[in-house]
Amino acid sequence: MVGEPTPHTRAPLPGGEGKNRVAVVIGSGSVKCAAALGLLKVLDREGIAIDLIVGCSGGSLYAALIAMGHSPAEGEEMTRRLWTRELTKRRSYRSFLRAVLPQMFGFSEQFGLVDDSLIVQRLRQAFGDGTFEQARIPLFLTATDFHTGEQAVFSQGSVVDAIRASIAIPYIFQPWKIGGRLYVDGFLSDPMPVGVAIKHGANVIVTMGFESPYQPRATSVLRFAFQLSSIMSNNLLRANYAFHNLAHHTEILPIIPQFRERIHLFDTDKIPYVIEEGERAAEQQLPYLRRLLAAAES
Amino acid sequence: MVIVVEKREFVTVFSIDGSVDGTTARELVTSLRAQVTEGSARLVGNLAGVDYTSSAGLRALLETVKETRQHGGDLRLAAVRPEVLRVLELSGFTSILQVFVDVDAAVASFAA
Repeated sequence: MVGEPTPHTRAPLPGGEGKNRVAVVIGSGSVKCAAALGLLKVLDREGIAIDLIVGCSGGSLYAALIAMGHSPAEGEEMTRRLWTRELTKRRSYRSFLRAVLPQMFGFSEQFGLVDDSLIVQRLRQAFGDGTFEQARIPLFLTATDFHTGEQAVFSQGSVVDAIRASIAIPYIFQPWKIGGRLYVDGFLSDPMPVGVAIKHGANVIVTMGFESPYQPRATSVLRFAFQLSSIMSNNLLRANYAFHNLAHHTEILPIIPQFRERIHLFDTDKIPYVIEEGERAAEQQLPYLRRLLAAAES
Repeated sequence: MVIVVEKREFVTVFSIDGSVDGTTARELVTSLRAQVTEGSARLVGNLAGVDYTSSAGLRALLETVKETRQHGGDLRLAAVRPEVLRVLELSGFTSILQVFVDVDAAVASFAA
C-alpha cells in the first residue's frame, strides 16, 4: 500500500540554483531506525523540506516510508503492526541442512537461517508494488553486492525488492537477487551511506546513525557471528564517516540518538520512546541547521 | 563564536565559546593560523564552551592540527563536552588528537 500524500510532504527544492540541497540519510540500526520518524517530526515542524533521502538496512524501511509520503504517525503505526516477532520465528531448515550437510544437500549462496516469506509479505503490505519513480522525495536505498563487496544504490524499480536486499542481514536473511545479481545487507559496505547523498548533489546532510551494540558475552555461534559483525560494522561506520567529513565540503550534521536502555530487534513496544529520542537528538542539531539554511537564503 | 587567546609559558590556550561549524570555521582557522605563523605552534583548545561541531568544524580542527605539526608543535584538546566528544570519536579524531580532561592537564602534557 502506498499511502496518499500527507501534508508534511513537500515538493523537492530545485537543485543547482545556489540553494541548499538537504538530504536525510538513515543508517543501519534495526528498529532503532524508527528514530528517523522523530527527525521527520522536527523537520516537518520547522518546515524544512527534504530534497533527497537515503536509507540503508533498517534505515531503508524508514527512508522509503518517508519518501513515499507517510507521516510519522503512520510510520509508527505501520512499525507496530508489521514489525513483530513472527518475522523471524520460521526457520529455513533447507538452508540449515545445506550448511551442515553440503555434500548431501549442496550449499547455496542464498543462505539464511530464517524463512523470509513473512517479511517479504509484510513489506508488500507496507509498500505494495510501489516503485522509486512513485516516491515523492527522490529515494536511494543501498545494499551490498555479494560477489564484489561494492555498495549498490537502488533508485529505480521495486521498492520492496530494494528494501529486501538492503536488510539481508548476514546469516539471518538470505541474500536477495535483483537483475541477476545477489545482494546482502547495505551495512556491509557502508552502515551510514552519506556518500550517496554527496554524490547526488546534497550539500547539507542530516544523517542519523547507530553503532551496533556489543554483547557482554557471546553465548552461541550466532551471537559470536553478530559480535564480529558489530565490530566490523562499527569500525566501518567510523572510517567512512571520517572520510566523508574530511574529504568533502558538504555540511554533515550527525544525529546520534542516545538510548538509555538497550533496544532489541523486536522491542516495538519501545517505538514511542525510540521516536522521542530521535526527536530529541534532532532538536539538538536544529539551531545550527536553522542558521545554515538561513545563511543560504540571505 | 568567541575565541579568547591566553599565553601560558610556551603554550597558547584558545578558549572557544559557541559552535564550531560552517558559519564560524573559517574564522577559527584564520585565528589559529595567525598564532602558528607568529611562532605559537603548541596549541591547547579549551572546548568547554563548545556545544556543537559540524563537519566544517572538524575540517577546521584538522587543518589546524596539520598546521601546528608542520611547525613542530601540536594541537591538543581539553574539557570537551560529551556531545562534542561523541562526534570527535565517531569521526576518528580521538585517534589522531590528544584529548585531556582539563586545560591544565593539556598544557602540562607539552612539558612531558
